[in-house]
Formats: sequence, C-alpha cells, structure tokens
Amino acid sequence: MLKHYLKIAFRNLAQQKVLSGINIFGLSVGIACFSLFLLYAVHEFSYDRFHTKADRIYRIVEWWEGGEREPGGYAWAYTPVAPAMKRDFPDVEYAIRLKGSDCIVKAADKVFRTSITYADTAFFHVFTFPLIYGNTNTALQQPNQLVITQEKALQYFGTANVVGKTLELKTDSAFVPFTISGVTENIPANSSVKFNLLGSFEHIANDPMVQQSNMNWYMTIGMQAFVQLKPGSRLASEQNRINLFRRKYYPDDYKPKKNPTKEDLIQTSFRLQPIRDIHMNPTIEGGNDPKNIWILITIAGAVLLIACINFTTLAIGRSAGRAKEIGVRKVIGSQRKQLISQFLAESFLLSVLSAATGLMLGSLLLPLFNQLADRKLSFSFSRFPELIWLLIGLIVLVGFLAGSYPALVLSAFKPIEVLKKKVRVGGSNLFTRSLVTLQFVLSIGLIISTVIILQQIAFMRTKNIGLNKENLVMINTEHIGNKRIYPLYKQAIENNAGILGVTASEMGLGAGEGLMGAGYRDFKGELKGVIEYPGDYNYLNTMGMSLIAGRYFNPALASDTTGAVIVNEALVQELLGTTPEKALGTQLLNAKGNRGTKTIIGVARNFNFEDLKQKVRPQFYYRPSAFQPSRIFVRLQAGDPGSKLALLNKTWKKLVPDAPFEYSFVDEKFDNFYKNETRWSNIAGWAGGISIFLACLGLFGLAALAAVNRTKEIGIRKVLGATVTHVAGLLSKDFVKLITVAFAIATPLAWYMMHYWLQAYAWRINITWQVFALTGAFAILLAVATVSVQAIKAAIANPVKALRNE
Amino acid sequence: MIELKHISKWYQVGGKPTFILKDINLTIKEGEFVSIMGPSGSGKSTLLHILGMLDDANEGEYHFMDQPVHSLKEKQRSQIYKQHVGFVFQAYHLIDELTVYENIETPLIYQNIKTNERKAMVADMIDRFNIVGKKDLFPTQLSGGQQQLVGIARALIAKPKLLLADEPTGNLNSKQGEEIMDLFKQLNKEGVTIIQVTHSEKNAGYGSHIINLLDGRIEKTN
Repeated sequence: MLKHYLKIAFRNLAQQKVLSGINIFGLSVGIACFSLFLLYAVHEFSYDRFHTKADRIYRIVEWWEGGEREPGGYAWAYTPVAPAMKRDFPDVEYAIRLKGSDCIVKAADKVFRTSITYADTAFFHVFTFPLIYGNTNTALQQPNQLVITQEKALQYFGTANVVGKTLELKTDSAFVPFTISGVTENIPANSSVKFNLLGSFEHIANDPMVQQSNMNWYMTIGMQAFVQLKPGSRLASEQNRINLFRRKYYPDDYKPKKNPTKEDLIQTSFRLQPIRDIHMNPTIEGGNDPKNIWILITIAGAVLLIACINFTTLAIGRSAGRAKEIGVRKVIGSQRKQLISQFLAESFLLSVLSAATGLMLGSLLLPLFNQLADRKLSFSFSRFPELIWLLIGLIVLVGFLAGSYPALVLSAFKPIEVLKKKVRVGGSNLFTRSLVTLQFVLSIGLIISTVIILQQIAFMRTKNIGLNKENLVMINTEHIGNKRIYPLYKQAIENNAGILGVTASEMGLGAGEGLMGAGYRDFKGELKGVIEYPGDYNYLNTMGMSLIAGRYFNPALASDTTGAVIVNEALVQELLGTTPEKALGTQLLNAKGNRGTKTIIGVARNFNFEDLKQKVRPQFYYRPSAFQPSRIFVRLQAGDPGSKLALLNKTWKKLVPDAPFEYSFVDEKFDNFYKNETRWSNIAGWAGGISIFLACLGLFGLAALAAVNRTKEIGIRKVLGATVTHVAGLLSKDFVKLITVAFAIATPLAWYMMHYWLQAYAWRINITWQVFALTGAFAILLAVATVSVQAIKAAIANPVKALRNE
Repeated sequence: MIELKHISKWYQVGGKPTFILKDINLTIKEGEFVSIMGPSGSGKSTLLHILGMLDDANEGEYHFMDQPVHSLKEKQRSQIYKQHVGFVFQAYHLIDELTVYENIETPLIYQNIKTNERKAMVADMIDRFNIVGKKDLFPTQLSGGQQQLVGIARALIAKPKLLLADEPTGNLNSKQGEEIMDLFKQLNKEGVTIIQVTHSEKNAGYGSHIINLLDGRIEKTN
C-alpha cells in the first residue's frame, strides 16, 4: 500500500516540476534554517554535559535575596570558602578554585598576550579535559608547571607535543620559566570552563592579593570555585547544611541589626549550582537567558511555517487537477482514510526529500550561520545524539503541518460531483487566503523589525556620546612596568606629526573593559554607586570631553593629585541635587558619611561610558598620586592611520621589546557594545529576507495555478476585448488585496514589539511611519512583480486555445 | 438481488423540490442484463449512481442481496460496494498517473489483498483481455477502446456480482462499441449481473430487459 502511495507521489512530483520545485526548494530552505537554529539551541543546552562527572560537579555561588533586590546570584567565590567546604563536608570529594588573569608569555623568543587560569591540583579529577600528552595525575603538581591547549601549543611552538618545553611568563620585572606538563585537546565550544594555559593555584598562593583575600572572607578577586560531591551526596539540595556552614564562617551577618538599612535586608547565602545549569540560568550572573533561544526558534519556526504554508496552499490550488483521480479512487473502493494516508504519504515524501536537501543546504550555510551567531557549531550526531530524534520529529512535523489540510479537503470530495465536473475547486478559499496573509504578516513583520533594529544600531553608533571616539587609539600596557613605560612612550611619540595628544588611564574604555566604583552618600544620606575613573591630568581634554563648570586638572597643583575630582552632570544631579556652578568646591560624602577627601574642581558634560542601554551613571575623574596606567590613549590626526600606527608600533618595539604591541580603536570598542544588537539585526534580516522570498515563491505558484484555473475565463474575456493589462490586473488584484491586509495586520504588531524592544534602551530612536510605509510598499511591489510574471503569461496566451481546451 | 421501493430523489431549487427520480420501484434478479434508457435529464445516471451506492436517495428503500442499503452505515455500505460492485464510465476515468497494470491493480489494494495474490489476479485479467503488451503503458498512450477495456478490466478485477456501466460505449466508434458490448454479453453469460445506461437502441438490445425512464419515472419495462 505504502509502495503504491509513494509511487503515485513520485510521479506527481515528476509531472508537476515547477510546483514540486517550489515546494521542495521552499521546504529545504525552511528546514535548513530551522535545523541550524535547532543545532544552536541543542548546543546551548548541551553546555558542560561532556564532563563524565557532570552530575556531581557544582559551582559555589553567592545568592542575594530580600530587601528591594531581585533575587539573584553571583559566581564569585571568596578564596577560603572552597577549601573550607572540603574540610567541613565529608561528602565534598574535591574543591577546585579557578583564578583567571591576563598575561604575557614568551615561547621560543616570541611574545604573546593571552589568558591564564590557575587551578587547584585536583582539576583534572573533576573536569573532563583529556590530555593528548602528559599525565593528568601529575600535570599540576608543581607550582611551575603549565598545561596548554593543543591550539595554543600549535600557535606558540608550531607543534602539539610540547611536554617538557619551557614557556616564560612575564611578571613586572622579568620572565619566569614554566615547564609544560601537559597538552589538552582543544576545549569544547560548549564548555563553561575555558582556558588557554592552566597553571597551579600554588603558583599564585603567595601573591599579596591572594594572600590578603585568603584572610578576608569578604574579599573577591575574580575567582570561581567548584566542588565535586561524592556519589549519592545530596548536599546541593540540603540548603540547611550549607546555611549552617555559612553561619559558622560569617557570624557577623547573622547578628540582629538595630537600625537595619535597605542593604541589611538582603539575605546572603551560598548555593551549589549544578555545572550543567551554568550556561542557561539567567538568575546567576553571566548565565544566558533561554528566552532568547526560544525567540530564535520561534523566528526559525516562522520561516518553516511559511514554507509549509506554500505546500498547503499550492496543494489546495492544484486540487482541481487532482479531483478526477480522487473521484475515481473513491469509485473503485478507496475509503476516505485511505486517501488521507495517500496524501499524507505524499507530503511526508516531500518532507523527507526536503529534509535531505535542507540538511545539505544547512551544512553549506553553517559557516555563515556561525558568523551570525558567533559560535563554532558543527552538525555532529555523535556529540548531539538528540539531534537525530529532533530532525526525525521535524520531518514528521513538516509532513503533517504541510499535508494535513490538503489531505482533509481533497479526501472529502464527492466522487459523483467530481466526475461530473460539478465542483470547480478554485485556488483560493478563505483558509488558503488566510494562510497567504499569515505568510506576509510574518515576513513584513520581520522586515520592519530588522529595519528598526538597524536604525537603532546606527543611532547608537553615531550618537555624540560626549567624547570624541574617532581617531583614538588605545594601547594595552598591563603587566609591563606601567609606571615606567607611559612617560617614556608619551615623550617619544608626542611631538610627531599626526599625533594630536597622548594620555593614559588605569581603566580601559568601551566593550569588555572593567569599571571601578564605590558607594557615596547623596544629600539625603542615601548610598549611591559612583564610578571612579583614574586618569592622567590631560585625560579629559585629550578625550575630547568638555567642562560645563570649573577647570581641568593642573599638574602644577600638588593638591590635584590628592583630593581633586571632576564629576559629571549625573553626579551633580543625583548626589548633590544642585547646579554645576554650585557644586564646585563641594566635598563628596563617602559611604561612612565622612567628608574631606574629595573636592569637586570641575563638572564635565555627561559622557556615555557604558552602552546606550544605560543612563549615564554618576561618575568622577581623578588623578591618583601613584599613577599606574594600564592603557595609553593616543589621539591621531584624521585620515589614514597606517603611518601613524607604524610609528606607534616602531616606538613600542624599541621601548618594550619583550611585550606585544596591542592596540584597538576606541570607536570599535564602543561599536562592540552593540554586537548583540548587530547579531539580532543580522538574524532578523536574514529570516525576513528568506521568509519574504519563500512567501513570494508560494505566491508565484499560486498565481500560476490561478491562471490555469481561470484559463477559460481569461479566454472569454479576451475574446470580448480585454487587454493584457486588464487581464494582468484582474489576476494581480486578489493577491495585492491579501498583502495589503497582511500589511495592515503586521504594522501594529511590529510596532508594538519593537516599541517594547526599544524600551530597554535609555537612548532610543522614535519609530517613524516612513519605516512602515517603505516596507509595505516594498512588499506590495515585490508581490505584484511576482504575480505579474504569471498574469502576463496567461494574458498574452491565445484565447482560442484556452477555449478549445475546455 | 436488487429491490428498489418508492425511491425518490430531488433537489431544492428556489425552495421547491425538483424531482430527478420519483417513486421508482424496481426488482432486478441475479444474472440479468438490464439496460436503462431515456432522454437526457430523465434521471438515468442518478438511478445508476443510487444503484451503485455512490449517491443516496432522499426517500425509499434499497435492498441489495437482502441487505437494507438505505439504513446501513457508510462503512458497511462501502464494504458491500467494494466486494460486489464494479463501475464502468463513459469517460473511462482511469488514473492518468498509473500504468494499465497499476490501474487494474488499485481496487485490490483497497481491499487489502496480498501482493502475490494481487499479481496473479491482475495477470489473469490482463491475459483475458489480451492487453499483456500494454500493461506498462499509461492511459494517455492508449486508444479510447483500449482505455475502456482497461476500465472494464479494473471494474471486474475484484470479481463483482454486479457491473454498472454508464454509457460505456459513448466515447467509442461503432466497431469498438460492438466489441465492448460483446464482452458484456460474454460476462453476463458467465454470471455477472449487468446494468447499463445507454442511448443506443442497438446496445440496449444486448440486454435481457430495458427500463425506460422519463422525467424521473419508469415509463415502461420490457
């Protein structure tokens, strides 16, 4: 029976080449899109699963709850907590601390900047990172041993087997040799724990800061900690035991307060977070929101739906051509359900064929998709076995979604009526009209969204943020004798042509750079966070920031390095509640309510040092007396930066031969704030483009069918004197109506969604009517063009032929 | 074998019923060869469709082999129909996408007959109709007479007791028509009950009975 169905299905496919082509191509594109997003989702949800003991590995997090705070957790770990847990809980098998930092390494006389992670010795007992060379039991035993990834080994040494070789790590004054004790396979893309170089925690145990943090149970130094529980332990769910543990080491936190402030109401606890939960738990800092994945899947689903709708509408449109077959089959004994199975078999066949081509298309598009999604995905059924089931499910779903309505409609034909040609099933009943409208609602909506996201990105990139970020180069001077280098370097380049200014600061600027801050009391006595920005005297003027009151720092005044600050407008408003002029000379109140250390000498115009989602927060600039700049900023003359960069590089090589010259353009650093937005606009743009393409493809097929179904009518009209334009208009009119309706539905939906999306931005564009008008006009033009091709073909055909056919 | 009692069929046109068949009473015994005649619009085809269970009467009783067809459920009716009735059309109504062989085979598929058995039955039928050389052709590659032969072969493949034919020779030339009618006569001799609708006196002459219809009523039987 099935063989019989498939045979018929194949012959139908072969006979209706254009329609089959549209169907298979459309569904392939839809499936390709969907499978890529599926792969992405599977990848995102597969994080950290590869550890063989993943079900027993937990991350120690600090959980804050109560007061006015949204409950949430932080992944920082206090240095002594993890060892204490191992000591106090018999069911903690291992405790691992991970401390990452930035470093400069020398390998075979070449220097590189990279990241390094220091871990406790049991690292390889807990995490599954197989070593290609070396022994996991001994790899981290000595403080001067290093494990390196295969990728980095190849980069530094040109070969993977580098066990026993020496890698030198730069400290402030010298290079310290390390022995490579192991080479790991490259870290899987779906690992939350990542490293390039892995050193022993022992090595940094004597670092003053680490030592200090080991004594201070409140001090964080950017460390994460994991524990591995013994099999059968339920510690992670026995919050009581963990709370008792915390009470033991933080007794002060549990003493009743006399006048509790808002901050005192926040209750702090430790929690154990399963390692597989890290990547997809947004309540803990650094976790991703699964909502975004569902949005992506929904977009991909919309594209797939559009392709399925093509199949459905075309099948209905062609029903006239198949009516006879259905009638005959019923007369010779077929039951309705047998016909339903037959039609479903056809759509399943199509679905399987499309899935095959779709997966090929998907793997071809994978590199592009990886770029869009900023991932390194691959279709690996061994790594993602569930992908097989999901794809089978997808095929069944597509077959069913696309085939069920035609199957129900076609199988319901009455044989006698069909055979007597009483039913003329046209191409469009209300249902198919609604489906076509839905297709265009989705595509128009996606395109409008894309345009608005793009507008917002362009706005954020070009907005005057209160600092001249053009032609500004930032050079990284971390770990290279900061104090010494900056004045020398400045002196060496300052007076060259094309260099307009040189300054430095202890903090970077733009995406991926840190911020420092502290709490200060405002004029009502409430605690407010203030960003502190340590820069050189000439920092503000070189960066192109302007003052609205007071003066810049003056190197001649000794007091300017001890207590002078230049604040921004936001600080004046929120902390002082006064005007810039009156703020001058005011002293800031620190968190304890004391005055006297920081006097305002100037007020700077607000500068968006964060992305434009944020309002400008209170901020002040100061010149520390012991200035240790980690970034040098060089303002170049506008124009081709090539020669000036060459000069910067040459000077650097001369002054700092043992560290790489690492620079970035500040405007790019700011653009990087909008990586996410750019990604979303890319995704929405592609989805919108593909979906309107698919919708038009369907329209093309429907128009062809409409022309066929109305051959006789067109013939009669032409005999009666209708012109080509007239006939083409007649055929296009129906479709244009549908698209106009779609536009009317999509507009408010897209407006509402994008309005909601824009609310996340403190600085945002206004949605203008032009976006809608242009998108609508574009969609209608495209549809008319598509339909016209068929309409004109039908209109110029010889009417006599058409009538004779009847 | 067949007994119709007070069968009527009408359509509502502008609120008034327009009768197509009115109070038809008819008995047909097994082994008969009946021709239904009458002018266009007299209700011949509708009567045939009701006899073939493709259409329902609005009123009246229909007994087929002692089963009350008019009160049976769709499923039981289609069971009887599949086993006992074969249909031949004026326009042949072969499935264009299937070969001759597959067209003949299809009814057996719907009766869930096993592949091997199906092969044997179709091979017999193709032999008998002398169309072995044509079995892999598609309907559009055949002449009208050949197509009708395939149509009859398909109608007979499930060994029906009753063969219904709606102007089986209407699209054929006279020689082809004669051949088809000879075949019907032969089949009738072998025990198949045949009811045909026809315009042609000559073709009607092949049958044992003629029923004349006029405006939905039986005018006379002979």
